[in-house]
Amino acid sequence: MKLPGQQLAVLEVLSADEWISIDELAAQLDEKPETVTGAAFALEEAGLAEVREETETDAELTAEGREYRDDGLPEVRLYETARELGADEAPLELGEAIGRAGLEGPQVDIALSNYARKGYGDIDGGTISAASSVEPSADEEAAALRAVAEGVEPAQDPLDSLVRRDLVRVDERTVRSVRLTDDGVTELMAGVEEAGTVGRLTPEMLASGTWRDAEFSSYNVGADAETPTPGKVHVLRQAAERVKEVLVGMGFQEMEGPHVDADFWINDCLFMPQDHPARTHWDRFALESPQQIDSLPEDLVDRVRTAHREGVGPDGDGYHSPWEEDFARELALRGHTTSLSARYLSGEQVGELEPPQRYFSVEKAYRNDTLDATHLLEFFQIEGWVMAEDLTVRDLMGTFTEFYGQFGITDLRFKPTYNPYTEPSFELFGRHPETDELIEIGNSGIFRPEMLEPLGVDADVMAWGLALERLLMLITGFEDIRDVHGTLTDLEFLRSVEVEY
Amino acid sequence: MPVVDVDPDELRRLTGHEEKSDDELKDDLFGLGIEFEGETEDGEFQLEFEADRLDRLSPSGIARSLRYQYGDARGVYVPDTNDADWTIEVDESVPAERPYVTGAVVRGLDMDERDLEAIIQLQEKLHATMGRKRAKGAIGIHDLTMLKGTSAVRTDERASGEGERRAATAGGKSIRYVGVEPEADTFVPLDADRELTPAQVLETHQTGQKYADLVEDYDRYPAIYDDIGLFSFPPVINGRRTEVSADSRDLFVEMTGTDQWTIDKMLNVVCYALDARGGQIENVEVAYPDGAVVKPDLSVDEKELAHRRIEGTLGIDLSADDAVDLFERAGLDADPKTVGDDEVAYDVAIPPYRVDVYHPIDLVDDVGRAYGFNNLTPRYPDVSTVGKRTEPSRHEEAVRNLLVGLGFEDLLNFNLSSEGENFDRMGLDPDDAVLGGGDPPTILEPYSEDFTILRTWALPSLLMVLENNTHRQYPQDLAEIGLAARVEESEETNVAERRTVAAVMARHDASYEDAKGRLQALARNFDVALETPPTSHPTFIEGRTASIEFDGRSVGVVGEIRPGVLVEHDVEVPVVGFEFDLAGLR
Repeated sequence: MKLPGQQLAVLEVLSADEWISIDELAAQLDEKPETVTGAAFALEEAGLAEVREETETDAELTAEGREYRDDGLPEVRLYETARELGADEAPLELGEAIGRAGLEGPQVDIALSNYARKGYGDIDGGTISAASSVEPSADEEAAALRAVAEGVEPAQDPLDSLVRRDLVRVDERTVRSVRLTDDGVTELMAGVEEAGTVGRLTPEMLASGTWRDAEFSSYNVGADAETPTPGKVHVLRQAAERVKEVLVGMGFQEMEGPHVDADFWINDCLFMPQDHPARTHWDRFALESPQQIDSLPEDLVDRVRTAHREGVGPDGDGYHSPWEEDFARELALRGHTTSLSARYLSGEQVGELEPPQRYFSVEKAYRNDTLDATHLLEFFQIEGWVMAEDLTVRDLMGTFTEFYGQFGITDLRFKPTYNPYTEPSFELFGRHPETDELIEIGNSGIFRPEMLEPLGVDADVMAWGLALERLLMLITGFEDIRDVHGTLTDLEFLRSVEVEY
Repeated sequence: MPVVDVDPDELRRLTGHEEKSDDELKDDLFGLGIEFEGETEDGEFQLEFEADRLDRLSPSGIARSLRYQYGDARGVYVPDTNDADWTIEVDESVPAERPYVTGAVVRGLDMDERDLEAIIQLQEKLHATMGRKRAKGAIGIHDLTMLKGTSAVRTDERASGEGERRAATAGGKSIRYVGVEPEADTFVPLDADRELTPAQVLETHQTGQKYADLVEDYDRYPAIYDDIGLFSFPPVINGRRTEVSADSRDLFVEMTGTDQWTIDKMLNVVCYALDARGGQIENVEVAYPDGAVVKPDLSVDEKELAHRRIEGTLGIDLSADDAVDLFERAGLDADPKTVGDDEVAYDVAIPPYRVDVYHPIDLVDDVGRAYGFNNLTPRYPDVSTVGKRTEPSRHEEAVRNLLVGLGFEDLLNFNLSSEGENFDRMGLDPDDAVLGGGDPPTILEPYSEDFTILRTWALPSLLMVLENNTHRQYPQDLAEIGLAARVEESEETNVAERRTVAAVMARHDASYEDAKGRLQALARNFDVALETPPTSHPTFIEGRTASIEFDGRSVGVVGEIRPGVLVEHDVEVPVVGFEFDLAGLR
């Protein structure tokens, strides 16, 4: 018969009378033990050899055990000292015995508890007595400790108590031994040849058909290979894609529009008074060049101006603030992507929209403020709105419950809040999937009549927004957004960060 | 949003609900829209307010809202006011930029230091919000006993031109709101120990410097006089003479500003807070050159709200009785009536401290808060729409996926940059007629010198990433699809925004072919014809630079980066790269 080289080599050194351990075989053949094990099992399967498994224990001293091997067990030391001091005749002061025995720290408690357990004497009311019948040199545990140290097999009972005392560590391992079967002997007598093995499969082997007789050598399939660095979509983009997918699945269409826009679209259409603190020059990202938009829809400007000055409806009041078209025309980097919503709702972007509609964007917005671990000058805003004939606060709650649930954020709570362009308005709070804390996850509301009427929308519109970075940090536990976004990013971080899906 | 420190014990005392635990109070406040931010060292709640309910900026205001929420108080409350004893005469000399004034007298207060602190805090928060940092409205509170005002011009006489000083109609006492030349008079301001002119206050006094920009362009500065002399320099600082202490029992509250409604409402908020502390409000007559008015204006506003608007917004069925109950628990009064075809509506009375009711929809919000929004059951709207991405968005994703397939690490950099990074360090000049050239949109008041423009191209961002990662493993193949912009007069916004595709390959053996090969792969997959005629670009090595032409249109540049640019970025391996308009691949 033919056998692969490794099996043949093992077969040839086996004996029918004697069990030979794998380690021994490996040493004889100069092979790795796992290679020999593999060959042995293959031989067993072929009925040529049998493999026996035995469990062996290896006992090893712990650091504490080694200390006691050198110094003696604390209770033995205490007993010997007590005897020297005559405690077998009259009880003596415990502190003195401990001090003379040189016991310190935790060893004191160890000595005391084992002293009593082993019947070395009594400890009572601060005194110690020593039994005279004890022969400390015969202590079984001390003997077992020495045996383990010397590699001799110790008695089982004292070994168990040494393990409990954490002085000895016992590891179990399986030892395999192999011997020839009768069939193995017969085949060997008949003569076994080596079958060729193959390192690498080649195109030639496939073409010529030699692969049919080939035996493939075994690899160490557990070993590490070099890790390639794949191209990878940026983790924040992955999160953006995921959000987009969720929103498209919920029936939302995507919006797009300018990053640099007139304050009219960014703020005035949203019924933000021109003297609102967020519109002061240090909070806006106003442009020095260019300064103004060329044109705004005249009718809309008139309606927006009227809404700001006089309010809408018979009982509406306007702001007691100035409103200048010149300011409305000023250009700025959008502070929120709600400017896109204003453009779409006005009909400027894609024509008049009839209800029902759902729209979203996951795009950049800008904030002129300090940078810190959770805030950058640029962030991605998730913006979404629903337009329908009759929408209630309950519909808003249901929509957000669904959306946030997609990201594992549940138990939504709605904190009524103030927002110039929505009423009612809510800060959204949700249960963090990891920490279980209640955390702020977005802002929402139903657009005000003062926003919708000038835009020409004759339906209800509910909207919400949140920073994508915040959502990413919530669902991944990132702590510093600066690692993720911008030129200070660490490539090693991007290469090793977990994929979002 | 303003944060106000409030002692929870005081809230328990003022609401009469000693049994409320801290946690219950926090929950109740959450329901009002007031967020617990943390605690001070003294165990006071730090509460974050929204900018709408300014009447809650004091402990007494919060307590009032809680009492309504608990059902302990109902309906509109308006304090009684006594007739005016004092007049504020408004002189023709008042600066035209700040013409309005209002005021009230409050008598019989019994304050301790904490009460005084709460009033000062209220004043500051009102300045910060409605007062627009004192530009729109500024508050001055004075110890009434320190004011002397026995002589005044009768308003009717002055209106008719008889200028003799005599007791005014009100109660015979008056102060005068006038405009003074910057150096014309002196007074001792708060936190100072010598006489200063208004001009000196702006130059040398800490508070004066802070608010100087509000008035320094005026020809005459706003000033308030009593018989003794100048005692207040609004909106900058009050005089020391009339400073309020915990011992002050009677106060004169004046406010000046650019809008009468705004300062009247601010005054109402202060009056309600002082009323809650046991003060008796007393009217003040404001005598403008063209007629007199009585302040504070505690009139109750009214708006009509249809019942179906409440139900339609909250998504619940309510009886009219329920609705009235909720109105009253929101501190409003409501009279149900029938309008049109059997439809129920309410005349809703709105107390004078409310500054946030612009439209009946705001009253629906009040009803919702009283009902408890979190008592509503969410439901997914029965509205069917079809979702979809925009075509450019799908295209961008497809290009990004292909770049990643080519082994590029997808990057995300800032659209904001600086002239130094965008031009100088790349060896580029804005006037160069090449990719990356052109005028960038510039920020008016940049927060940081690193972010002063919108980038005109994205390769500088990638070079910066290489610069910050020289200690990381090579090869470093990086790509980004993002925004680039330049000033372009033909655009509506005067800014041309484009999506740009940039890529660099930093490796010890990088050569032009590496970049060109990837471009070919992109072109083939998007079925465009690629040509790369030689060109020049200051960032790239001459002779190893090509223009990228997709289907005959020049859309970008490809080549080996100049050693000078690499050294400038501390990059020690060769780098090849390209950048082109994303739209070129469509």
